[in-house]
Amino acid sequence: MMLRYIIRRTVQIIPTLLGVSILSFSLLYVFPGDPAELIVRISAGVDNPTPEMIEKFRIESGLDKPIVLQYFNWLSHIVRGDFGVSWTSGKPVLEEILERFPASAVLFFSTFLISIIFAFLLGIVAALYRDRLMDHITRIWALLGISIPSFWLGLMLIWLFSVRLHLLPSFGFGTLKHAILPVLTWSMSFMAIKTRFVRASLLDALSQDYVLTARSKGLSDGLIVFRHALRNALIPIITYLSMSMGHLIVGSVMIEVVFAWPGLGSYLVSSVFRRDFPVVQALVLLSGVMFTVMNLIVDILYAIIDPRIRYGG
Amino acid sequence: MDKKVIAAVICVLVVGTAFGAYFIAKPAPQIEQKQSEITVEYRDTVVLGYGKDPRLHGGKWGIGFFPKINVLERLVEYDMESDEYVPSLAESWEIKEDGRVIVFHLRKGVKFSDGTEFNASAVKFTMDRLIAKEHSLRPERAEVIDEYTVAIYFKEAEFFNLAKMAEFHLSIMAPTSVTPTGDPDGELVRPIGTGPLKVVDYKEDQYAVFEPNIYWYEERGIESKFKRLVMKIIPDEDTRVMALRSGEVDIITDYTHGGSDYTPRNQLSMLTKEGFRVYKRDIPLTWVIAFNYEREPFNDSRLREAVDLAINRDEIVKIFDNQVRPAKQGMFAPEAPKMKEANINYEYDPEEARRILRESGKEGLNVRMIVNKEQEDQILVAQLIQQQLKDIGLNVDLDILEGGAYKQKRDTGDYDMRLYYIGGTDRRFYLRLFWRFHPETKWKAYLSPKTGELCDDVLREFNREKRGEYLIDLYRTLYEEHGVIPLYNDIMTVVTSSKVDTDYNKLFEFAEPQFYDVGVRV
Repeated sequence: MMLRYIIRRTVQIIPTLLGVSILSFSLLYVFPGDPAELIVRISAGVDNPTPEMIEKFRIESGLDKPIVLQYFNWLSHIVRGDFGVSWTSGKPVLEEILERFPASAVLFFSTFLISIIFAFLLGIVAALYRDRLMDHITRIWALLGISIPSFWLGLMLIWLFSVRLHLLPSFGFGTLKHAILPVLTWSMSFMAIKTRFVRASLLDALSQDYVLTARSKGLSDGLIVFRHALRNALIPIITYLSMSMGHLIVGSVMIEVVFAWPGLGSYLVSSVFRRDFPVVQALVLLSGVMFTVMNLIVDILYAIIDPRIRYGG
Repeated sequence: MDKKVIAAVICVLVVGTAFGAYFIAKPAPQIEQKQSEITVEYRDTVVLGYGKDPRLHGGKWGIGFFPKINVLERLVEYDMESDEYVPSLAESWEIKEDGRVIVFHLRKGVKFSDGTEFNASAVKFTMDRLIAKEHSLRPERAEVIDEYTVAIYFKEAEFFNLAKMAEFHLSIMAPTSVTPTGDPDGELVRPIGTGPLKVVDYKEDQYAVFEPNIYWYEERGIESKFKRLVMKIIPDEDTRVMALRSGEVDIITDYTHGGSDYTPRNQLSMLTKEGFRVYKRDIPLTWVIAFNYEREPFNDSRLREAVDLAINRDEIVKIFDNQVRPAKQGMFAPEAPKMKEANINYEYDPEEARRILRESGKEGLNVRMIVNKEQEDQILVAQLIQQQLKDIGLNVDLDILEGGAYKQKRDTGDYDMRLYYIGGTDRRFYLRLFWRFHPETKWKAYLSPKTGELCDDVLREFNREKRGEYLIDLYRTLYEEHGVIPLYNDIMTVVTSSKVDTDYNKLFEFAEPQFYDVGVRV
């Protein structure tokens, strides 16, 4: 039953992936002007291409073919890992992305893990000690985390830990020490609102009748929270986490700039500024795919946590 | 349970506050400034913080400006003080056919950093590569006359051809820089030049490692104080300054091209007070207000004059903590050729500006100014200009755009005013004249029949005196027509820790910073 559910959900994401690929492909056509002229001007660096040059390029590159054919031609390259060549560096786009992927992966997964752990810990404590000191502290913490701009926080942490205390490096990528400040900065803003969400979701679960029943049966607080309430609170939390994943994937630009972290976020932004379309197309596509797959994983998690979903209830 | 938790939290807060207060209150350590006068021991590695990737793999625009100055050299250099082109890799040259052909006689015994000989073939290779890449500054062709003589042919007969030879992009690269060797269309492996540094390692967007080019140092009979110069790429300007303060880098420098990615001007005074050494070099780069002078309302020179009179340049330079100079004495910086002789004075007279607006019925006029979002200082300047123009009755809508959108509006003429720059580092003086005021350029700041003709005259004229006269005429015409409104003259800075030894004149031999003389004391 579970397997059937997973297969069904996997098949259902195929139209989404196709939609993402169409969106990514169409970026070049959404931009004002003739795509062939744009490519000749930006990619080849020809300031004032003649109509003959543009037409010649159009035919050579297949841009004279129907757009549907162009799309399938492009897609056939994509599925083979050929995302084209960067108009700025001249290097294969996939090579450029893979060079930067490790830095982004470290930042993404570390931030995600740390912020989830602390969001749950603090959220649970805040819910259990509702309206007491711990709850107030986490509320202030969450407010600070949401309000303080990440670039400012990053600079302050650099000032404290690098300039004053000489404990950590202020920039760069390479060792665990380099990752501490960027991950800490990014986690703080990411976990703040999650903490409040965990708290709210858990409080909602703890107010249900079955919790009252469990208490009256003499179960301990720990058992009630972790065996019963938390499991029910997880569904909305996981939903929220999956939605905020997109922000985590592409929102790291500030962190990467402040800490000179060579990741994909700043690469995407600089490619947009330079109108390096092959790179932008590839990153939009990969982000979309990643987001879709993440949602698939979340749907599967739903089914694991709540059997009613698996049975179509 | 609650009491224990409260007690624990209070303890943590008290200890944390005491800890933080100690370190926050503690003054910055005094950096030792005393130098040993006898023997000085230097560290093997100098670490430099730089805001842009040096693009050592090339790419569409070729390698970055930093390696063009520190790894490569050019046939000639430009001495702004005398307004002369001086020998560099070429020891002399002959101008033929009014500048359509220049025959360069090359220095002998010069080696590239990989040990290969610098000769006429290397010059031809560099020129052929520019031609193959269809670079806008490419010559028509280059011809090897003999091993140390090369003739370069240009399309036009003009002085400007000699000026181009001092330009960044015409820096001479060894044929062994590409694969296959000597192929103008070959793929760049790494730039190999005759300059003081050679490239050893590079990781895009992270770092580059250079070592001294022993041949360059041997030829000059000097020794390098370092064995390795590591460039760390730190895009954020504040992080660069922090990295210097924390000691992770020894030197931070402005972007070699000038105009962006520089050390924040308003931090220079503070850095000096903290014991860092700030080396500052005035450059002939002027930030200006440029108009869309081909359409209303700024096709009216009187309106442009009103804007000119409304600008308080002294206020503008305060944004930069007075580290830059108000551009009152002319379009270009005072050190630009014949700028002082032009005897120009841009005045601040808001009353007169208001009167002009009233008389022309343009009071309360709404205009649009585009600003490039990527240059934060320019946003502040634009906001101040907006306020100053509002004071005389001109309403300016600021359109703060990301780089690509800004360029699009600029190129399609979808604006009334914008911030722009003219000039550059010294070597670009004549090049920027062409790029900003010549009829054939696409990056015009301003063009009228008279200024276009004068600009062309300047760029054609080999005789320095005559060229000087044309320059004075051009400056005065730009002033009288209010073609562009100069705001401030920019600078180039290098900031080092107090442990770094170098000489100002060696650092700024040709305006852009060169690091061949730096050393970090142990």
